Amino acid sequence: MAINKQHAIDPDKCTACTICVTACPVTAATRKFRGPKMTGPALTRLRKLVSDDDPMLDYCSNCKTCDLVCPSGVPISTLNMIAKNEYYKTHPRKSKADDMLAHSEKMGKLITSLPLGSTFANMGMSIGKAFNVMGAMGIAQSAKMPAYASESFISKFKKIKQNPYLRKVVFFSGCYINYNQPEVGVDLVKVYQKNKIEVAIDENFVCCGSPMVAGGYIDDARVNAAKNAALLKSWVDRGYDIVTACTSCGLMLKQEYQELFDFAGMAEYAAHMYDSIEYLAKLNDAGEFDTNFVNDNTKYIYHAPCHLKVQAIGRPSMELLPLIPGIDIEEADAGCCGISGSYGFKADKHEIAMKVGSKLFNRIKNSHAELGVCECGTCRLQMENGSGVKAIHPLTVLRKAYGL
Amino acid sequence: MKKCDILIIGNGVAGLFAACVAADRGKKVQILSYGAGTLTIGGGIIDVLGYDDQGKFVSDPLKGMESMSPEHPYAKTGPKIAKEAIDSFLKITEAEGYPYLGSADKNMWLPTAMGNFKPTCLVPRTMDASALFKAKNILVVGFDTMKDFYAEMATRNLRERFGADKSVEEFVVKLNFEYGRDLRDISAMDVARWLETDEGHQAFVAQVKSHVKADTAIVLPPVLGLEPNYEVLDSLQKELGCPLVEMSSLPPAVTGTRLNKMLHSYAKKHGVQIIEKARVVGSEIVDGKCLAVITEGFDRQRKFYADQFILATGGVYGGGITTQIGTMTEPIFNISIKVPEVQTDWSYKQLFADKKQIFAQYGVKVDENLTPVAADGSKPASNVKVAGRSLAGYDFCYEKSGNGVALITAYKAAAAFCGEA
Repeated sequence: MAINKQHAIDPDKCTACTICVTACPVTAATRKFRGPKMTGPALTRLRKLVSDDDPMLDYCSNCKTCDLVCPSGVPISTLNMIAKNEYYKTHPRKSKADDMLAHSEKMGKLITSLPLGSTFANMGMSIGKAFNVMGAMGIAQSAKMPAYASESFISKFKKIKQNPYLRKVVFFSGCYINYNQPEVGVDLVKVYQKNKIEVAIDENFVCCGSPMVAGGYIDDARVNAAKNAALLKSWVDRGYDIVTACTSCGLMLKQEYQELFDFAGMAEYAAHMYDSIEYLAKLNDAGEFDTNFVNDNTKYIYHAPCHLKVQAIGRPSMELLPLIPGIDIEEADAGCCGISGSYGFKADKHEIAMKVGSKLFNRIKNSHAELGVCECGTCRLQMENGSGVKAIHPLTVLRKAYGL
Repeated sequence: MKKCDILIIGNGVAGLFAACVAADRGKKVQILSYGAGTLTIGGGIIDVLGYDDQGKFVSDPLKGMESMSPEHPYAKTGPKIAKEAIDSFLKITEAEGYPYLGSADKNMWLPTAMGNFKPTCLVPRTMDASALFKAKNILVVGFDTMKDFYAEMATRNLRERFGADKSVEEFVVKLNFEYGRDLRDISAMDVARWLETDEGHQAFVAQVKSHVKADTAIVLPPVLGLEPNYEVLDSLQKELGCPLVEMSSLPPAVTGTRLNKMLHSYAKKHGVQIIEKARVVGSEIVDGKCLAVITEGFDRQRKFYADQFILATGGVYGGGITTQIGTMTEPIFNISIKVPEVQTDWSYKQLFADKKQIFAQYGVKVDENLTPVAADGSKPASNVKVAGRSLAGYDFCYEKSGNGVALITAYKAAAAFCGEA
């Protein structure tokens, strides 16, 4: 029996112990944020009486560090997100960028469907920056935006010839892998095939909705959740497990849907959901993980994304990657990177995001590692932006170690 | 997640220290944690035993342990183990570059935010109160918008305490923080972060320096940096030319946060695996032995296997023990704890009655090896030991044994599982 979610949304479970305040990275970085205890459970009680609210709750980045440290199981960040979404129903948005950042899938679809679309889009980003178009839109001038790929993952996937195997998974690639870094998706298929797993995709999946909830577009997220939940349930009914290679997609589909919405089948499919590395670690526990690796003498530093930590699965990458002969890998253990999906791209949040991530950036620089490793796409971007060291997905490390 | 040697449930001071002790002895250790331990809001000091069962001050805690009631956790550990545990903790603090002062056989007096003194055993160097007793002048430093610290009150109480022996003056530093108190309270943590910056450091020195006379000691709330090191203390002492002493204060706690970071750092360096947000809901027990504990989340249940288990989930406040009217249970091993059916019999009417509170002593009963014993006298699992606040038989608040019982029982449990103690 899994936790039942909807009634987990109870502000009265908060004992006001302040542990969340001690841990919140945004609270540490800026005095503009009231802190998780106040905007979350404390004000939620008041919101039951009065409707007007506090614009400062916009500073919550939904990194979920508060949920991670709360001893009473209060979904503090989700209370914040619900309040933020209510707030924007009656208040104007701070910037035009909110809509674009929340609907990254729309953007990705548009750009990759045009011939040479990604070339122009990526060029447009730099030209836009030069003329301060970004600034006018509310995107931070110095933020490094994700680049678009010339071919989507779904298109690449169709060209891969797979061996059929009894063990089958459906891969929810998510927008970042599909439109920005499709090669990570290809890495997944190669690594999974090596481990005798057949990978399916579903072209009807839509954006998980994580950026929509964080950006204050919960109604759009609900529409997507209804579609995805029904599809995911049908795959599980056909005997498939579900894997994600983006920890925010994984968390959204598995947990936040259950906290925010009430569609049939969510708990049933969640029981079969795995992070892509967690799934391989499970094979390893059963002695079925292929460890036929070639040497990799690279020095890596691993950063655990906040949205992985909160999934209660430990650090599967730090279980598997050290099995590669010659590898030198350590965990950064330096807290949140600051980006929180699209939070750090916004003009009024960028400085906070860089301040939050500064400990991690210094840790990466001082480690003298050649490459960073992280499951989350925008964390990787932030790691590169802050430290100058390139960061890759653990699946990419595994693919290289298999010599594929 | 392959089977580990020792699985620890809870990452408060007991769980983390047990993990450090076992990992030091070469064991493969995993911690399952649900929420950060309450030590992040605690004072970061180690009280071992301040007052005995009759409320009499104990100057030597090791000696004081010899006359505890047989139900008390110290009666199960004894002074020898206690000394080993405290020495082992001190070694960890040294290895981490944040050495604590003190020893298990001597209580010292630490100033509180009220301007009173409480007995304690081990403190970080930022709380070395001996300077206060030596200095002729005491300067109480407060911060104008900071919550929960009133320099005036502390000054008045310290003056009363020291009488004509010393001059006690107060000075309040102006913080001028952006958004002042308009948006959120200014806590000791905010001030600690400020003192870690060059700007804060300089502003503090510039304001305080002219108030430091010859032979002065400064006493202030715990604000000397959030990291487990003495950089802020040492640099301020150097520039001001006088000792600084942090008082024990209210949450959110700077000193508890430092202790938490230090123990985490040591545990991780020694290969301890920590799995956060893992809510343990039950256990699988076969033939009187625990095979695995079971976690539950939004997806599915998972089993975590180990040879031995340490339960360090805390008391009612930390979530380790659950209560309903007339009943109390340790939920993971399903151990029922005997309590009166009438709830009003759980406590003395006066919260600060001059004796140990009844409810404060409720917890899991254990044998002399810290193995849990159920209300009917049976032992649910022979390879389980209990450490810290989950244990029955003590009132840390009354006897001033908070963190001490946790460290000492954690040490005994971990060392015993490693074939020692």
